[in-house]
Amino acid sequence: MLIYDLNANPLNSNEWAFPLTECFHITSFALSIGTIMLVDLRLLGWALKKSTPAQLARDTGLWTLAGLFIVIISGLLIFSSDPLRYTYNAGFQWKMTALVVAIVYNYTVHRKVALSGASPGIQKLVGALSVFLWVCVPFGGIWISFV
Amino acid sequence: MTVAEISHAIQSVGFLTYIRESGYTYPMILSTHLASIAVFGGMILMTDLRILGWAMTDVPVAQVVRSLKRWKVIGFCIMVLMGLLLATAEMDKYYANPYFLIKMALLWIFFPLHAVIFHGPVYGNAEALDAAPKMPGIAKAAAISSLCIWIAIACCGRWIAYYEPKDKNGKPIATMTVHAPVVVAQR
Repeated sequence: MLIYDLNANPLNSNEWAFPLTECFHITSFALSIGTIMLVDLRLLGWALKKSTPAQLARDTGLWTLAGLFIVIISGLLIFSSDPLRYTYNAGFQWKMTALVVAIVYNYTVHRKVALSGASPGIQKLVGALSVFLWVCVPFGGIWISFV
Repeated sequence: MTVAEISHAIQSVGFLTYIRESGYTYPMILSTHLASIAVFGGMILMTDLRILGWAMTDVPVAQVVRSLKRWKVIGFCIMVLMGLLLATAEMDKYYANPYFLIKMALLWIFFPLHAVIFHGPVYGNAEALDAAPKMPGIAKAAAISSLCIWIAIACCGRWIAYYEPKDKNGKPIATMTVHAPVVVAQR
């Protein structure tokens, strides 16, 4: 299934398709990770202190989801352009691991702490871990080309 | 001295050569540059979406603008510092790269123009925007143009790696190692 005629994929045959898909990927990760960062900054107590984390989480929720939706779809398209290469690329494996952990974390622990509140210490910890996990994803993305 | 000679002199500086030829340093700098798109870009995006009234509408515009300002500045400084290292380390390839030049024009001409034009009526006047019954047109213009500028900057940045310099006959000139994903069918 991963092996097919790669030239049939427009991302490989059209000069603009691949970079354009990457641009969608980049802007949508700015949207998704950026909105999550807003909640994290509040959890860390560093910005938007007049709002509660719950308020910010509710406000940004749909935008985060939309961003993740587009980032995953564009990511799948990029993956489809060279499936074998990406599957066996260490940078890609790291990125996917970080992405799955980050998404699961975001919609379980992070969501619970943001919506239900907790002590400031717990909030800071949860926010910091979220920042770390989400920063790992674009780092992994760059390393795809360097391993 | 020609631009080409100056560029070569710049990238020949010791630590920039080290960055360019490094195994880990260049990707780490590039990753930091990219990861701060996620942080910094996200804030710009949300500020603009808030001004347009499409997101976070229960948070006053003034609070969004004021509260995120420091983080936007920090993010911007990190991005520019990383970008400076990336560009000067590869100056030979970048000085003639049209995508890089367009990106620099957007960043150092259009963006400051945008700031100068819109700071007074919009970003420095956010309380008035909250007090107004409807978001004034100039604020929406500021938000839309800001979105356009920053999305264009990001896209130009990505496209830098795809530029192939061609000689007078239209034949591609071979360059050295290209720090870009090479889409090659692996069999």
